[in-house]
Amino acid sequence: MTTTATTPAATTTMAIITRGGPKGRRPPARRIRSSWAERVAPYAYIAPFFVIFAIFGLFPLLFTFYVALFDWNPIGDQVFVGFANFERLFADARFWNAFVNTFGIFLISTIPQLALALLLAHLLNHARLKYANFFRMALLVPYITSVAATAIVFAQIFDRNFGLINWVLGIFGLPSVNFLASQVGSWVVISAMVMWRWFGYNTLLYLAGLQAIPREIYEAASVDGASSRQQFFHLTIPALRPIIIFTVIMSTIGGLQIFTEPLLVAPEAGLTCGAARQCQTLSLFLYEQGFGQFDFGYGSAIGVALFVIVVVAALINFFLSTRTRGER
Amino acid sequence: MKKRLAFAPLALIGAVALAITGCTGGSGSAGGGAGGEPKGDPNAEVEFWSFTGINQKDGVDKYLELKPDAKVKLSEVGSTTETATALTAALAGGKVPDLVMIQNDDLPKFVENPGNFVDLRTLGGDDVGEPYLDWAVNAATGENGEVIGIPTDVGGLSFAYRADLFEAAGLPTDPDEVAEAWSTWDKFIEMGEKYTEATGEPFVDNVETTVFFATVNQVSEKYYSDDGEVIFESNPEVKDAFQVAVDTYDAGISAGIAAWSSGWAPGKANGSFAVTTAPSWILQGLKTDAPDTEGLWRVATLPEGAGNWGGSVIAIPARAENPAGAWQYIETMMSPDAQLEHFTETGTFPAAETALESEEVTSYTDPFFGDSKIGEVMAQSVLGFSEFYNGPDTSAIGGALLNALVDMEAGNTAPEDAWKTGVDSANAALGG
Repeated sequence: MTTTATTPAATTTMAIITRGGPKGRRPPARRIRSSWAERVAPYAYIAPFFVIFAIFGLFPLLFTFYVALFDWNPIGDQVFVGFANFERLFADARFWNAFVNTFGIFLISTIPQLALALLLAHLLNHARLKYANFFRMALLVPYITSVAATAIVFAQIFDRNFGLINWVLGIFGLPSVNFLASQVGSWVVISAMVMWRWFGYNTLLYLAGLQAIPREIYEAASVDGASSRQQFFHLTIPALRPIIIFTVIMSTIGGLQIFTEPLLVAPEAGLTCGAARQCQTLSLFLYEQGFGQFDFGYGSAIGVALFVIVVVAALINFFLSTRTRGER
Repeated sequence: MKKRLAFAPLALIGAVALAITGCTGGSGSAGGGAGGEPKGDPNAEVEFWSFTGINQKDGVDKYLELKPDAKVKLSEVGSTTETATALTAALAGGKVPDLVMIQNDDLPKFVENPGNFVDLRTLGGDDVGEPYLDWAVNAATGENGEVIGIPTDVGGLSFAYRADLFEAAGLPTDPDEVAEAWSTWDKFIEMGEKYTEATGEPFVDNVETTVFFATVNQVSEKYYSDDGEVIFESNPEVKDAFQVAVDTYDAGISAGIAAWSSGWAPGKANGSFAVTTAPSWILQGLKTDAPDTEGLWRVATLPEGAGNWGGSVIAIPARAENPAGAWQYIETMMSPDAQLEHFTETGTFPAAETALESEEVTSYTDPFFGDSKIGEVMAQSVLGFSEFYNGPDTSAIGGALLNALVDMEAGNTAPEDAWKTGVDSANAALGG
């Protein structure tokens, strides 16, 4: 610790700088009052975002709540029906099926993904890797690849007739698997796609977090005799908590709204993602009802339900991931 | 740090709000078609929305040849469904095209609200639909007789089969003999059993599109009664049509390869099945998918004769800026003679009766299909097509029943439960 020792004089200087000095001179009050523009300016700078958000984000959101109360035909009549759409929704087996699918895919794709991303980030940070930058950049390639392209490739890999996996199974004399025909099978295909796309992104976030942790803490822990496993669980993970919270919440929001992957995984299966709706997610169900059947009222009711589900899930995850600190 | 965390739930709600897209829609436009002369200059630019895959550009080129002063801006919006979705959005509150193609499956939703379109009787007189197949015009006719679209083409239905595979299995190969041999669905299934016994291979590609789409359209009433009541669940004709598909599956003669799935195109090329459905517009795709099978396929009348799959109408939205130009296009290109000429040039199957009965159509053959009498077979199938009422949820009900069959073929539903599964999911779609 000798290297970080400072002289008393230096400490005082630091204090003066950081506190603005004991008798820090303030600008005259009159000047602040006169510069009204200066006070408004910051709001003006951030206004474009909020104005655009109000038009394209908030208004559609509120309007969705409104439309959900109607039997709304976009090119015909709009009849106020109160909460009938919601009553229908809660009794609709297709809604609960989509609900289960969405959470199934979300859990299969997110939990292993974040755990693996954390592990890989740890390796990339600590191992004396040659070409570390190359590996870090390579991680981003799936993320910048279009979802549509990813979906086509994965659909080929898991294809029932000519897929890579079934080809390998065939070599070993095993019967081929029709992944998309079963519920769990189609979840796995979609989860694989999601993991492939977001794994590198989350790894990089964790890596950035890891690099911000001062080496000295690890050195101190080593001196105290902590094993690398203990260091990982008692230093790395607590230090990464803000980033873990961020990734968990973003994964929740994104994962529960998953749309493109189930839509494109089997184009011939259409908006139901298969004949038994085996991989139809909530967003896809919303789209099917709203834009396939043009039943905007019911579609909006699904949208409202999805909104509530995502908020609740994100809040639960938020409190779960912040609570872990208390256990330490 | 603590303070930032306290704000997080709020930020979270904001983020969710940002991330979720809501559906919006303007108010539906009311007001029927304008009376009298269409407004606008017939030679001003006509904005025309069509679908991909039907090569509408040929038609537009022909029109510009006939009317050199006219201008047409053609957009191929997307698939038939995507085009209908885009049209719905436009009708609900966007800029509408002057002229639009609507596929028959998407039509009932639009016919239900005829005020969104120009009533073509106001432009072409009360008998504007006269030259075309009755059922095709009626499909585009609103409650009070508004004709919102002129049929451009129909999807004459037949079955295509591999003559070489039939021969190897000891079945007849000549299209007339085949049509005679499978004149009923029972005979069709028997024939399939013979084929599968002889070759060990499946007979048909799948039961949902090839069998069910055919049988369910050979009824006198389908999912709705003639006065618009939903009757699919109690209609014995629908249940029988469904049962034929289940029986076909039970007989073990289906390959379970869904149309347009990854195994379908290769299956046509390598003989994974010997029979597939063949509406007029699918024949070109068969050639593309299996070019090496040239001369091996034949086209024959399907069991129990009549059928139609697909076809479209052309319509003018009520808010169109240039209905005069749009109407000039329809008058020029949709007359029976023009449809016939379009058929000889592109193979698009006409919807006008005189065109269907003409020599050019009935004598149409194609060497790829062993010079089978394609034109005659298809013309007979649409001329014999019996009419039934299609309501706004026809496609939703049909989709639910179809999916139950697909799920049965995937082995997820037992054949005896398939009907109930389909009915339940159709009722869910209806909001029951």
